[in-house]
Amino acid sequence: MIRLEHVSKRYGDTLAIDDLTFEIPDGEVCVLIGPSGCGKTTTLRMINRLVEPSTGTITIDGRDIMSVPTEQLRRGFGYAIQSVGLFPHLTVADNIGVVPRLLGWDKERIAERAVSMLTLVGLDPAAYSGKYPRQLSGGEAQRVGVARALAADPPVLLMDEPFGAVDPLNRVRLQDEFVRLQRELHKTVIFVTHDIDEAVRLADRIAIMRDGRLQQFDTPEQLLDHPANKFVHDFIGADRALKRLVRVRVDSMMTDAARVVIGAGADAARMAAGSRRFTYVTSSDGRLEGWLDTDDLKDGVFAADAITRADPAEISVNAETSLRDALSRMLGLGFRSIAVTDDDCRLVGEVTLRGIEQAMAGSDEHVAPKVGEK
Amino acid sequence: MDVVALVGVCVALAGAAVMPFVELRPNRLVPGVTHSVLTAGPWVVVLVVSLLAGLVAAVRPGGRTHVVLVALGAVGVFSAVCWGLGAASRQLLEGQTPIARVSVGAGAWMMLAGAAVLGFAGKSGARRSPFRVAAFAALLGAVLVAALKWGGLADISLAREYVVRSADFWPLVGDHIVLTMMALTFGIVLGVPLGLWATRNRRVRGVVLGVTGVIQTVPSLALLGLLVVPLSALSTAVPFLRQLGIRGIGTAPAVVALTLYALLPVVRNTYVGVSGVDPAALDAALGMGMNRWQRLTRVQLPLAAPLVIDGVRTAAVLLVGITTLTVFAGARNLGVLIFEGLGQFAPDLILLGALPTIVLAMLADVTLSALGRALTPKGVRE
Repeated sequence: MIRLEHVSKRYGDTLAIDDLTFEIPDGEVCVLIGPSGCGKTTTLRMINRLVEPSTGTITIDGRDIMSVPTEQLRRGFGYAIQSVGLFPHLTVADNIGVVPRLLGWDKERIAERAVSMLTLVGLDPAAYSGKYPRQLSGGEAQRVGVARALAADPPVLLMDEPFGAVDPLNRVRLQDEFVRLQRELHKTVIFVTHDIDEAVRLADRIAIMRDGRLQQFDTPEQLLDHPANKFVHDFIGADRALKRLVRVRVDSMMTDAARVVIGAGADAARMAAGSRRFTYVTSSDGRLEGWLDTDDLKDGVFAADAITRADPAEISVNAETSLRDALSRMLGLGFRSIAVTDDDCRLVGEVTLRGIEQAMAGSDEHVAPKVGEK
Repeated sequence: MDVVALVGVCVALAGAAVMPFVELRPNRLVPGVTHSVLTAGPWVVVLVVSLLAGLVAAVRPGGRTHVVLVALGAVGVFSAVCWGLGAASRQLLEGQTPIARVSVGAGAWMMLAGAAVLGFAGKSGARRSPFRVAAFAALLGAVLVAALKWGGLADISLAREYVVRSADFWPLVGDHIVLTMMALTFGIVLGVPLGLWATRNRRVRGVVLGVTGVIQTVPSLALLGLLVVPLSALSTAVPFLRQLGIRGIGTAPAVVALTLYALLPVVRNTYVGVSGVDPAALDAALGMGMNRWQRLTRVQLPLAAPLVIDGVRTAAVLLVGITTLTVFAGARNLGVLIFEGLGQFAPDLILLGALPTIVLAMLADVTLSALGRALTPKGVRE
């Protein structure tokens, strides 16, 4: 558990951090967020003493960080930053091995660790171990940065906009992988970002800051439903309802989908569709192949040309996708429902627009803050 | 069109056509009569063929033929000049008194310069392996030695000067190398830490870069003169230093002056190299728990190494030249030959000191360039 108690940081006459108190339970992702200059990065850097607090105490599992030698303290954290800061003269594997080497691990163990870390972040060790940072794309470099931060298996990760320098598409992919990793690793993570979508997507708890002061420290759901003041309300933005969908996975809202296997008769297809006009078509092993319109059916075995074939990646979403992404896909395709598939593109169910509406109606309370409230 | 090769050919051609090839003088001091390249006899044919090869290479660049033609042209011109000089001196010295001399004329030097430029043109085309460079140098050396031994080149005035001074020539070369290396070592030992210090503190940076810059502007001779007085005083005051051989005259002021000159390139390149390291990499190093020493040795120095070595290279080339001036403070090195030659108005004696100095400077340049390339981390190589 990391605990900040009445922590302030003063630079000359300006108070960069003003009496900050909060605690981060073990195994949780705490996102520090706020406009630039709000002190979120300073707060992060105080935890590994890259910045020394002027007053107040920071403890980790009850131990004051000022009582630990700085280098030893820092080696105990995983540290990943926006500019990545890979060492250009070291290979990817050697970059990942930096902290283990500082900790005096033997060579074999370091090499093994590099391989497993690369695998963990989704890079092929055989292809990437020997590469140099300048041969990596932005997204690959960020992955290596995360792998390096995780290398010594630190209980706590400090991440300062670790996905900040990649394009939006890759950023979402990195975020999804981060969520997947965190489900496996259960690290305590302090994560700085200025992107509220990223915060809502990743956080167990969000600390929203402004001018060095903590505005609200809450779960994303609480923050979205009950913003503490006008600043928080405005910072979250007008699409709070949509943002809440980011927190819900598709498989939690999924219903059974109408389906028929290729080669089954027209009657089977009609039966599957029931009252609906459409049914999904799968191959015999359950892979989504397309859909068909029951109006196009003639009697007997349905003709192959009745099927609208499509790439499963185009017309379905993965079970782990957020509801918001599913909704976005639906709107983009002009569908009122979308198929849900597993990792092997097998049809597992569907999500409908109506289902999403109902989910939103259940929790939306339209909290309007009073004008003038700070 | 290969412009470099063309320039090389033109320089050599102009040297051959317009300038005197050799000069026949009654003795080593007085001026004499100049002779054209025709005195080289049959070697003129080799020269013409070589220049033609170079010309063809210049007009039709690219490919393996180009490289071969350029190499042939350069080696051919070099051989023609070496052997041609030998032939010319044999022919001209016939029937002359023993003290008559044949000196290398401006035209011959121009042809050698043209050959060098032509060779440089070939360098860009060929894959440049250290093996090839060494083989090429060995070939030129062999041609030169053969010309000295069998081609009559040993009769040329420069070679005769060498014979006269052969007893102290090599010791002077040795002293030159030792003095330069000593000053360079001190320059590195002082300059690298100073450069590092400059990266840590803005005020220090101003002072260190300012002072080393100002030293560089002090004329070498003046600096040597200025050092004589304090070093003499120091030597008188501290007997221990006197026992070490530190006096106002001799090696001590030379080493001090040369060290001071070495500082600017070393300090400046260390500063630029280390401060040019990506701040993100440094922040990562700090955040991952590297202490100051680890940041320096594992991140900053490996990344700055190519630039630091480049500064050392600049300093080395500079020092090899300036070392000749330390003769005025009583040091002994190749400068001795140059200044004796100046005193006697004996141009070939000047050359006997100057040519090896140039060769040493080039050797320093080549070795330290190679070292710099070797020390460039693979990940940051172009």
